[in-house]
Amino acid sequence: MSLLDHRGTPRSRPGRTVPLLAAGVVLAVVSGLAVWRSQPADDFGQPVVATLASSAPSAATVPIIDGRLPTATATDAPARLRIPALRLDAAVDAVGIDAKTGEFAVPPSVDRVGWYRYGPGFAATAGSIVIAGHVDSAAAGEGAFFRLGSLGAGDVVTLTGPGERARTFEVVARERYRKTAIPLRKYFARDGAARLTLITCGGPFDSRTRHYRDNVVITAAALVR
Amino acid sequence: MRILPLRSAVTVGAVTLIGLGTAGAFFPGPAFAKANAQVTVVHGIPGQPVDVYVNGEKTIPDFEPGKVAGPLSLPAGQYDIALTKPGDAIGEALLSVDDAEVPGDANLSLVAHLSADGEPTLTPFVNDTAKLAAGKTRLIVRHTAAAPAVDVRAGGEPVFEGLTNPKEAKADLGAGTVSADVVLAGTGTRVLGPADLDLAEGAATIVYAVGSAEDETLGIVSQTITGLHSAPGGVPSGDGGRADRGAALPWYGAGAAGILLLLLGLARLATGRR
Repeated sequence: MSLLDHRGTPRSRPGRTVPLLAAGVVLAVVSGLAVWRSQPADDFGQPVVATLASSAPSAATVPIIDGRLPTATATDAPARLRIPALRLDAAVDAVGIDAKTGEFAVPPSVDRVGWYRYGPGFAATAGSIVIAGHVDSAAAGEGAFFRLGSLGAGDVVTLTGPGERARTFEVVARERYRKTAIPLRKYFARDGAARLTLITCGGPFDSRTRHYRDNVVITAAALVR
Repeated sequence: MRILPLRSAVTVGAVTLIGLGTAGAFFPGPAFAKANAQVTVVHGIPGQPVDVYVNGEKTIPDFEPGKVAGPLSLPAGQYDIALTKPGDAIGEALLSVDDAEVPGDANLSLVAHLSADGEPTLTPFVNDTAKLAAGKTRLIVRHTAAAPAVDVRAGGEPVFEGLTNPKEAKADLGAGTVSADVVLAGTGTRVLGPADLDLAEGAATIVYAVGSAEDETLGIVSQTITGLHSAPGGVPSGDGGRADRGAALPWYGAGAAGILLLLLGLARLATGRR
């Protein structure tokens, strides 16, 4: 110790200063790391989402159709959703709107995810197939989409349809929006390129209202085989 | 610049806005040009295929009864419309309307049908294409048949009552299938149906009663307008709070304490060296 204090006043004894410095450094670094690690991963792929959502203009012809009453269209509800990167294999329920709130009726079971049955289905050639799932619930803990926000570009998502048919999608975007500002119209579009949109909650949690502030949205493009 | 008191600034702003709005309404310049109208043609006269001419041009050849053509995208303006027997000259039209007004930015259905007393006629309807709430569907029923007033029933309950030719009735309902029939107004005498109507979410289903009660040719023609859907109000998908990765306050506190300790240590060092 070359910094020995020759005057020996207790206030500036280096023997106490060094542990003080060390403790300060450790505390600052550890908490800095903790804060940094808690930052959500950055968004990516917004331009791709915009491109996928734009639809080509249709040709100018005068189609003539039979004016028969519309009949119920064959259902092509997806049955399972698999995301190897998250080791996720969840059952898919066909869901609609919660009549009380006008919101997406996410299945109450946190292990299951919900496909928006009014929008494009498993075999859709255009539009956004929407599947939403719980990030967690107060009663049941972590949900199927707990780690959805950690998906990265190129991760593969597989949808299994009726009759064990499978369709593969590749993650192209991850976005996070405040629920008050999310452009849901774009994600529930029925035109544009065929794509899969996965939605869950994220961001800061308000423990008073029991609501997350944000939605996390993953867009995956259909792989052409 | 003198700063206007808030109230008068608001007043001036409001007056200006109203003035601009009024000017816009009375003098629509090119900047206010409207989009084309979407016109769908519906054939509801039994037994007579036709050629449809728009402004002298054969637009829909050999148009069969019960069929729906379109939509045609037409700029706002006046149009001459004529229906002839297939192959006939336009001069021998079965039915024609001159200078029919087509407003801009509208969705219309032009229906060839029988009037209440059985005469062929053309009636334009303006289609309600307002966006539907998520989960909803729109049912529009149009009486375009040579028949008296009717009630439309869904699941046995009257939903539209006393509908006459050429009027329409409409309602926004929860999407799904309803069993519907048509009875003479105020009676249980069924004239059409029952039929299962599959009412798709985010779409308007327009059902035309066509034909003639006297000739026993009553029937139904339907037209669907899609793309009226809205997104759900939100996607509530978590109420546990476990996924909140926001840095907890204690970590910030610890960080601040660490930095304080560091500063204190440095200060000691500095004073110690002196």
